[in-house]
Amino acid sequence: MIRLCRVNKRFYPGEAREVHALRDIDLSIQEGEFAVITGPSGCGKTTLLNAIGLLDSISSGEIWLDERLISALGEHEKSDLRRDRMGFVFQAYNLVPVLSARENIALIMQLRGFKPQQIEARVAEVAQMLQIEHKLDALPARLSGGEQQRVAVARAVAAKPSVILADEPTANLDSHNAALLMRMMRRLNEEEGITVLFSSHDDDVINAAKRIIRLKDGALC
Amino acid sequence: MLLRLAWRNILFYKGRSLATFLLTFCAALLLIFYAALMQGSHRTMLHSNLGIYTGALQLQHQRYQEEGGSEHLIFGAAHWVDLLRRTPEVTAVSARLETVGIAASRLASGAVVLTGVDFSAEADLSALQKALKSGVYASEGLCLYVGSDLARKLEVGLHDELSFIGSAPDRGFVAERFEVCGIFKTGLYDFDLNYAFLNRAAFDTLFRTHDTASVIAVALDDPLHAEAIGARIAPLLEPHLRLYPWQELLEDLLQMLSLDKIFGYVSLGLFFLVIFFVVMIYSFINVSSRIKTFGMLRSIGMRQRQIDIVLLLETLILSLGALALAAPLGGFLAAWFELHPIIIEGIAENYKSYGIVSDAMPTCFDPASILRQSALILLLNLLSILYPIGYLRRFSPTEAMRHV
Repeated sequence: MIRLCRVNKRFYPGEAREVHALRDIDLSIQEGEFAVITGPSGCGKTTLLNAIGLLDSISSGEIWLDERLISALGEHEKSDLRRDRMGFVFQAYNLVPVLSARENIALIMQLRGFKPQQIEARVAEVAQMLQIEHKLDALPARLSGGEQQRVAVARAVAAKPSVILADEPTANLDSHNAALLMRMMRRLNEEEGITVLFSSHDDDVINAAKRIIRLKDGALC
Repeated sequence: MLLRLAWRNILFYKGRSLATFLLTFCAALLLIFYAALMQGSHRTMLHSNLGIYTGALQLQHQRYQEEGGSEHLIFGAAHWVDLLRRTPEVTAVSARLETVGIAASRLASGAVVLTGVDFSAEADLSALQKALKSGVYASEGLCLYVGSDLARKLEVGLHDELSFIGSAPDRGFVAERFEVCGIFKTGLYDFDLNYAFLNRAAFDTLFRTHDTASVIAVALDDPLHAEAIGARIAPLLEPHLRLYPWQELLEDLLQMLSLDKIFGYVSLGLFFLVIFFVVMIYSFINVSSRIKTFGMLRSIGMRQRQIDIVLLLETLILSLGALALAAPLGGFLAAWFELHPIIIEGIAENYKSYGIVSDAMPTCFDPASILRQSALILLLNLLSILYPIGYLRRFSPTEAMRHV
């Protein structure tokens, strides 16, 4: 499903402070996988996720999604691909502060032009799955960290993306909420068949994954 | 969806929204009032100048303006007066006959433009009646209505005698003694120094000028249409006659108004520039503080163009809201001060050479101008968001999300 061929990422290329963040990454993620990228701090986990999510450009190499070379797309096409095929969960939740939980969850579906009835039904469905149905009308500022992250997951899965990319989704959560979130993501992976690729350095979270991808100094090991 | 997001942003960031709203409201209100005041002062200057004596149009022999002379008078003036009075936009018509001569009192003498006028027609057309300083305005017989500075120069007062000698249209000379029955002061020094008026009956008897005029002055309901109305009447005139709009008769006034307009536009330009940069800086701060949110929106698949639209919509909603209040209020102030002019003590004295004959400075209520100023403010606000949008576009989604 996702294939990376000799992907390199250099920050500040040609300058004295150049950082080689990703080194010749060759990686394949199959449909329906529940995989974690792990490694010490600064090993390139976030950079790799950002590269796969087309949030950052790569310095060399290729990224393929379903036999389509996506690393060479223009900005508009990248935006559309993220909207249509990917769901993102961030460490800092990154909800739209001016929208309620319901509107945050519905946002990507609205961007994709879903009908209001479809949106309403899907929001209710994922909210129930993530146990946030009683918080749907609250603004993010009124939610706890765990609730905000569940809203973020709901937003990511609501439009039924092919893959969810989650960067340290449990880093800001206590162990109870972290375990709860992982159970829910695992359930989404199993019930909805969504491919999940996330990064973490928390052993409990890593152990919940079906596949572990280890990174060290920007290279797979 | 974009509209809802823009609206929610406005409601969520209340302080910033209120500041932008108030900034736009105050700028629009000030601009509308300033434009109304500028327009009002121009209209006052124009009406004062034209209303004192010149009129908006003057019918003359086409060589009279350049050469003067008794052979270039309008004969059969009553016919043309009648024709002009039938024109819908014309509010008053007065046939005048001017001659130049020497006037002398017992103590002094000087040149004078003696003009035969129909005092009742002049009352509707010019400010001669309103300018009465002492004595009577309309008098019969050999009674003169003399400019205040001329009276001072000739050292005469009311009921004093003035001798006059001048040329008549039949190339003869006329000499007569008159009584000073009225003294006027318009505020225009040259006019008050040189002009004396005599009723047409006495003038025609003395100079044998029945149904003759050197100038037929015309007042219009809107002097700004003088050229167009003149052009419309022109085909009805005999070839040797010509209607001169005030723009040709008062070139100095036209230049002065143009100059004043230029200064006005320069002031407005500076005003616009200040508004533009203030709104732009404010918009920039407003956008800068939300870069992280915009980065997140892009990361989940919103196109940069959609974010641009959200920002434009926010500006549009706030601007339209502010203008919806500022335009009627500005219009009300313009209308109010048109009816109840601002009084600036001493302005008439200081600006009398510009034809300002009153200390009252009325504004001008002009709905088209209010719409123009409102549209300009709206355009400025929309332009002022372009730089922040351009700045935002420099960030990749991850850079934007890391922005502090």
